[in-house]
Amino acid sequence: MTGWLARLLHSRRTEKELDAELRFHLEQRMKGYIASGLPPAEAQRRANLRFGGLEQVKEICRESRFEHYIHDFLRDIQYAFRSLIKDRRFAFVAVFALALGIGASTVMFSVLYNVVVDPFPYRDFQHMVVIDLHDLAAPPRDIARYHYTIPEFLAIRDQNRAFEDITGNYQLDVLYSDGKGTRRFLGCYVTTNSFSFSGVLPLLGRYFGPGDGKPGTPYVFMMNYPLWQTEFHGDPKILGKTFFLNGKPRTLIGIMPRRFNGCGSSLWFPLDLSPGADSTIFPVKDPDVIWACARLRKGVSLHAAAADVDAILHRMAQANPGELYPKQFTIVARTLLDFVVGDFSRVLYVLLAAVSMLLLIACGNVANLLLARATVREREIAVRASLGASRGRLIRQLLVESVMLAGASCLTGCLLAYFGLKGLVAIIPRGQIADVFGGRIPEETVIGLNPAVLLFALAVAALTTVVCGLAPALHAVRGNLPLRMFGNGKGAGRGIQHGKLRSALVISEVALSIVLLTGTGLLMRSFFALTHVELGFNPARTLYAWVSTEEHGSNETALMKKLFYEQVLQRVKGIPGVINATISISTPPLGWAGSDIVVAGKRVTHHSTVDLCSETYFQTLGMRLLRGRLLSQSDIDSARLVTVVNEAFVRAYFANEDALGQKIKFNVFDQLPETPHDAYFQIVGVVSNFKNRRLLDPPAPEAFVPHSITEFGERTILATTAVDPKSLLPSVQREIWAVDPSAAVTHSGSIQDFLAEFAYTMPQFGVIATSTFAGTGLALVLVGIFSVMAYTVALQTHQIGLRMALGAQRRDVVAMILGQGLRLISAGVLIGVLASLGLTRFLASQISGVSVTDPLTFCAVVTLFFAVGLAACLLPARRAARFDPLVALRYE
Amino acid sequence: MEQEKVEVLKGTLDMLILKVVAFGPIHGYAISQRIQQISRDFFQVPEGSLYPALHRLEDRGWLQAKWEETETGRDAKFYSLTRAGRKRLSAEMDNWERLSEAVGLILSAAE
Repeated sequence: MTGWLARLLHSRRTEKELDAELRFHLEQRMKGYIASGLPPAEAQRRANLRFGGLEQVKEICRESRFEHYIHDFLRDIQYAFRSLIKDRRFAFVAVFALALGIGASTVMFSVLYNVVVDPFPYRDFQHMVVIDLHDLAAPPRDIARYHYTIPEFLAIRDQNRAFEDITGNYQLDVLYSDGKGTRRFLGCYVTTNSFSFSGVLPLLGRYFGPGDGKPGTPYVFMMNYPLWQTEFHGDPKILGKTFFLNGKPRTLIGIMPRRFNGCGSSLWFPLDLSPGADSTIFPVKDPDVIWACARLRKGVSLHAAAADVDAILHRMAQANPGELYPKQFTIVARTLLDFVVGDFSRVLYVLLAAVSMLLLIACGNVANLLLARATVREREIAVRASLGASRGRLIRQLLVESVMLAGASCLTGCLLAYFGLKGLVAIIPRGQIADVFGGRIPEETVIGLNPAVLLFALAVAALTTVVCGLAPALHAVRGNLPLRMFGNGKGAGRGIQHGKLRSALVISEVALSIVLLTGTGLLMRSFFALTHVELGFNPARTLYAWVSTEEHGSNETALMKKLFYEQVLQRVKGIPGVINATISISTPPLGWAGSDIVVAGKRVTHHSTVDLCSETYFQTLGMRLLRGRLLSQSDIDSARLVTVVNEAFVRAYFANEDALGQKIKFNVFDQLPETPHDAYFQIVGVVSNFKNRRLLDPPAPEAFVPHSITEFGERTILATTAVDPKSLLPSVQREIWAVDPSAAVTHSGSIQDFLAEFAYTMPQFGVIATSTFAGTGLALVLVGIFSVMAYTVALQTHQIGLRMALGAQRRDVVAMILGQGLRLISAGVLIGVLASLGLTRFLASQISGVSVTDPLTFCAVVTLFFAVGLAACLLPARRAARFDPLVALRYE
Repeated sequence: MEQEKVEVLKGTLDMLILKVVAFGPIHGYAISQRIQQISRDFFQVPEGSLYPALHRLEDRGWLQAKWEETETGRDAKFYSLTRAGRKRLSAEMDNWERLSEAVGLILSAAE
């Protein structure tokens, strides 16, 4: 098939050769005739007669070659190009609309593809599963735990029949001292098979082997790429060096590549599970710390795997009943993808649905434009038909035009997608805190335009071509084509049919846009509710700093810890700009631990959140004392067993009696080391309610006890400030190091940032993405309404002229056109609102603090739409009113 | 004896061309003459269809063409058979044989 290409490229030579070949034949034939005795003139006549028309034969020769199709195609393109250039405004609007649709859907598809289909660098990650333990008494969405004790992990590892391989790990803080100070990194003990399990090879050095971590072997560790880059500037020579981590010398044996984020940790230590290994020494006996990730055996379902583990853990629970196991529990296995991405994939699917609506609107627009154009071009098409163009040829011609539009849109769309993706990736929720509180995109996911995504864009373009181009093309070539030549190009009878189709398209565009707008409106309202929750204090002017002191090194006591924090607190309060400061074990608005509580002299158990704090806690966070007294300095100093509870606590458990003076025991303290066991705390005061769960949930019962009763756990410094808390962070760090150079600030900022990180990112992402889509959709619909109304006015020129000649005022004309537009818009709005009422319930999981049928949102959307829609009709209406009746009547 | 000249049967022109070209490189005029000669003037090749057929066969890759001098010193386009063309020819000949055999059977049975 290379011949046709050469012939195509040298078409002039090809023509010459064809001519020479045929002429040679004619000459030979003529010679033959002359030889048989005919005079030359007669010979030539006979030869020509026998041969047939030279040009005709040439044409058939050309058509019998492959390049003929290309020639035709090129001519179609040329023609289409010329006619599009002639109608530049139409071409621009069509390409713009389609490009927006294609661009937006390509962006969403790339995100979805990269997140759902190709999120991890791990081998066969589709079969990687994690195991959740559910308390059957709790709501189904609450997971009791997904961490296991070492004996549990070993039992699962050794007794299961569902897994090919299983890995375990637990995270720890690694304090690294380099002489200047101590910094904290997130480290992780991982079983030595973890890296071969992931299938990712180290960038430098080696990964753990079965011998690593065993008692008596040298201490080794591995490092992730970002830490290597930021702390060691990517220096390969650090491999094999020894570092002091958590007080022990460890040798660096390997560095993992950039696209690897095992457990979100910066450092990995080998986890040896044999008793006595230093990785299995915990302050408590057998805590549930191991997070397990397993690979399913071929052909084993999630369900079967869960049942397998369920049996193993129920045997464990029977053998060692206790706090670890709820009375009735069940095991659920989830894929790793589900575990990491979770709810976020639902957000993505919602957005993909939104974007498909946008694409449909764009298609509707372009189809409408093409339809209007086809009507205007009826005459031209009729002329071409009567000149011998076949129906197929005409359809092809029109389709080539749409293909060109789609091609240009596809290119523009991909460009838009390229920049759109950059913007979108910047606001996508990632990071550690989001990790703890729910869905997010895996760190390792690379979101970009890849071949699959570009293929998708092409497919969308092809589909839009067919959707937008074919219908108008078929429409245009219906009926007796040559006859239509005598029409005026705006055929009255057929115009009505076209008009109906156009109106239907506009109505559906409006309806789709309304659905998009209400969805976005609801997400916005929900986001507004979320960010405007009354916390009782100003989160933008409240600083938090999580402080970590060396855990294993010093034999610290509750007293030492109290003294340390007291000194730190004094120094922090002395920093200019700090108004007040306090110590807590949690970061508001999240409470610390949940605990069963026993009231002295009663047999029922209740449940409450418990928090450890110092005496300045209440005034720092603006809680009001309702009854009794607050915790006092001397309560903290002498670690008195007293507690202050919130209003919700009293309302729930002491509604009919006096709470003050009651004594309560927190069961959680019985399970922890170094906390007062079997201790009853006397209630001394009641404070006002305060957000202590998720932002939108009502406050739960909560009790505050002096933090000095235990050295257990890390503390948070909370401070209200007169300036931006972030500007004070270096001073806070300095003051902490001044008291103890081995203490590290692990996480700090303003409460506002903390909220933004754990509570706002996901909804914010949804709001930004949908409002972009809805805004674009609205703009497209505007263009749609405008072009259809402008076109309708053009069609009605004659009629309008007649009316005006008969005495109609401009006002009447404007009213008539607006009325026509209004009818279209109203129908669309009505359908859209009904559809929204049906569809917004799919958004329910993304919306909180506002009803999915929120009347305010619906009213606002409808009002907005009418305002905008009428504005789009106004311009054509005013043009109609400016018609000079005489000119309008002569028109046509 | 004046014999009536018959137009080549529809669908057989390609086969006849291939067969004639199989003897060696040959130009279009000679092909038409040769077909006429070999069929003892039975067939008259429709010249209007000969060249489109040649071009089509070349396009399919069954013939290849080359400009060469004739004995009289004129440049002419000479066609020759390609390997694919040879295969095609034998396939068409097989087909033809079976077809004529079948037609012969039907005709003889009718007696």
